[in-house]
Amino acid sequence: MVVTEGVADVTNGLIAIGAGLAVGLAGVGTGMAEKDIGAAAIGAITEDSSLFGRSMIFMVLPETVVIFGLVIAIMAIFVM
Amino acid sequence: MLLPESMSRIVVAGTKSRMEDAIDAFYSVGSLHVIDHTTGDDGLSIGSPTPSTSKASERLLKVRAMEKELGITNKTSTADVAVEDVRKQISAGDVESVEREVLEAVDARNDLTQKITELNARKQNLETLERLSLPLDLYSGYNSLAVLVGTTVADPTALSIEGAEVFADYRKKKGGVVAVFVRKESADNAAAALADYGFAEIQVPQGPKGLTPAEALKKVDADIAAATERLEAANTSLDALRSKHMSFLKGTDEELAIEVEKGSVPLRVAVSRYSYVMDAWVPTAKVDAVKAGLEQKLGDDVYVEFQETRGRKLADSEAAEPRFSKVPTRQKNGKIVSEFEYATSLVSIPRYQEIDPTVLIAIFLPLFFGYMVGDLGYAIPFIILGAYGLKKTRHKDWRSIALALFFGGIWAAIFGLFFYGEFLGMHFIGGHYDDVGAWHWHEDSVALGGTSVTWDWIFGQQFPEWFANMMPSFDHAAGTHHGVGKLVEVGFLLKLAVYIGIVHLAIGYLCGFYNHMIQENGRGAFFAKGGLIISFFGMIAFCYALTNAMMASGGADWGLLTDGGTTCVVFILSIILLAIGTGIGIKGEGAMGAIMALPEFLGQILSYTRLAAIAMSKAGMALAFNYICIGMILPTMAVIDAAGDTITVLDPTANIAFTIIGILLLAFLHLVIWTLAILSGGLHALRLQFVELMTRFFDGNGIAFSPLREIRKKTFFSSKNANIDTQEV
Repeated sequence: MVVTEGVADVTNGLIAIGAGLAVGLAGVGTGMAEKDIGAAAIGAITEDSSLFGRSMIFMVLPETVVIFGLVIAIMAIFVM
Repeated sequence: MLLPESMSRIVVAGTKSRMEDAIDAFYSVGSLHVIDHTTGDDGLSIGSPTPSTSKASERLLKVRAMEKELGITNKTSTADVAVEDVRKQISAGDVESVEREVLEAVDARNDLTQKITELNARKQNLETLERLSLPLDLYSGYNSLAVLVGTTVADPTALSIEGAEVFADYRKKKGGVVAVFVRKESADNAAAALADYGFAEIQVPQGPKGLTPAEALKKVDADIAAATERLEAANTSLDALRSKHMSFLKGTDEELAIEVEKGSVPLRVAVSRYSYVMDAWVPTAKVDAVKAGLEQKLGDDVYVEFQETRGRKLADSEAAEPRFSKVPTRQKNGKIVSEFEYATSLVSIPRYQEIDPTVLIAIFLPLFFGYMVGDLGYAIPFIILGAYGLKKTRHKDWRSIALALFFGGIWAAIFGLFFYGEFLGMHFIGGHYDDVGAWHWHEDSVALGGTSVTWDWIFGQQFPEWFANMMPSFDHAAGTHHGVGKLVEVGFLLKLAVYIGIVHLAIGYLCGFYNHMIQENGRGAFFAKGGLIISFFGMIAFCYALTNAMMASGGADWGLLTDGGTTCVVFILSIILLAIGTGIGIKGEGAMGAIMALPEFLGQILSYTRLAAIAMSKAGMALAFNYICIGMILPTMAVIDAAGDTITVLDPTANIAFTIIGILLLAFLHLVIWTLAILSGGLHALRLQFVELMTRFFDGNGIAFSPLREIRKKTFFSSKNANIDTQEV
């Protein structure tokens, strides 16, 4: 934190909080979505192991959300 | 290479009397995928198994039961046996005689096991009764008395029942034991009183007069010891039987299984009174060879007729009779690519009418893996592990994993050396020469108190210039960087990942277009996938223009006129492409699908930024671990270098104990990163193939080409003549 003429510059801190929130909240959302799919997928694979590939496709679909969060976080820290 | 092998349908007809020879001939040509006959109104019915099948399956059951008893599994390694010997032994009734031998030993063992269980139960009862110290004969032999003996949960020592004598004992851990001697007419009252204590009756063993439980216990212990000894002997003899008959049983199992399978072929074939008719798929290239092979073996008793060579148009398959509509898929890949078929099969078997994605997986899976790992230090163990796996394992699934690791390792080495310039998360080069040829360390280098450990700093020696020139260089205000810093050139890595994604997705969309073209026609493909492809490129141009405009940060022209108007041109072009693409899409797939596709493009492309993200995550961990182990634990000292800067260097004269601790810790922590690299790198590389690439064009749900063929692992033909029988034509 840089203090110039008695005013604290919190820009970097705010960027870091923003980046953290972007990844963190997106991660929580993805986790909630994957939780149910994962449970169902494991059930299906136990019944028939040939379903592994197809289960995996459904399992990782919500992951895109956390990737969005990650991109925003990286852009916030490094690009902006 | 891309499409599965072309298939033709043939009909084989022959006389029923030579059915068994015919089945042998079908197996020997090894290329017939039988189409199951379904009873219809053509006057033909389904055949019945050959006469020897029922005996063979009965024997197979016996053999499998024996294998189970003796603990022989698929993993048990046994010597291979000659088919001729096995057949001779089977017909000589060896299965039955071995069964008698094995059953006798197994029965003996089971009897002993049961006896020991009974003796143990008796022992437990005696131990309980020992606490009451009454001789065993006193518990029985009364005319007017009933005796209730058993254990209780609650403490029974204070129990008193009218007209009865009670012996009781209670210990906190073992619970209570009680014996009640009561007149027969009051027995019900006593039982009711005992029920409150959680009474459970036990069997009192008989014994001669005056025999105490303690004495009886001694005898039971001796009996148990004797029985255990005999059980051990029985187990030893079973083990001996196991090693004696192991190879015979496994060989027989395989031979009988093949015999039963062959014998059931008539169940899939149509028969009339004197003849059989079989429909089968054969790879088009082998039709003539199959026909010649069958005619050579069966002479005039067989007739083979070519029916059709199935095209890739969906309409052809829909027009066919239901049982001929699905064509089996035989993937046509080279030796190396075919190892990756396992990855495709994890999703589904490709349809006959579509591109087999295996070759794309074989190219991109290791490439993405290598890009994400991107480190020479991690690559070398991957290459070694992959090569070792390929040498050791024959199992299809493991081979494909080993091959992916091997090629992934090679790509990781290439990226690590020529792109990132890294070994174990540490860059080779940590500084640069200035205009007058003096060496300066980067600002973040440990030499100047930063956190970035590099190899030239560890060695205290700069690498030659040609080595640095192999890697891409980046000009920063503080000097030139050699090699792509995963945590420095973040923008560049992200952009590169997006470009890789665009190429990968474009390949996927083009494959989809091609699939529709061969399944329908050019017009169908244009409406189904053409619009989507145009929209895809439109969306890319749109995002490109938008990002440029945003980065130019506004103004009256919204940043569109930066780059001398290029952005504006791209923007207009993107709108036109999007409009055309969506228009075609609406006509082809409906408004909903075409409009929903637009935001999806964005998600698909951004999904590839994980390539950069995972590379960064590993670099971040490695940075921390390297700084802890080398920068903080290893002893250092300050010196003044040639350029006159005060720098920190490793102190070679310091206590060696710290050096050893630092290196051991470093090795362990890098092992952690390396293991995580398999999981995250491997799984995400695979995911990009399965989800982003294959969903663009892959339908799956094909049926695998499974020809009639003997698969022998434990048995072999000892004579050369017989061997020809199993060769594929």
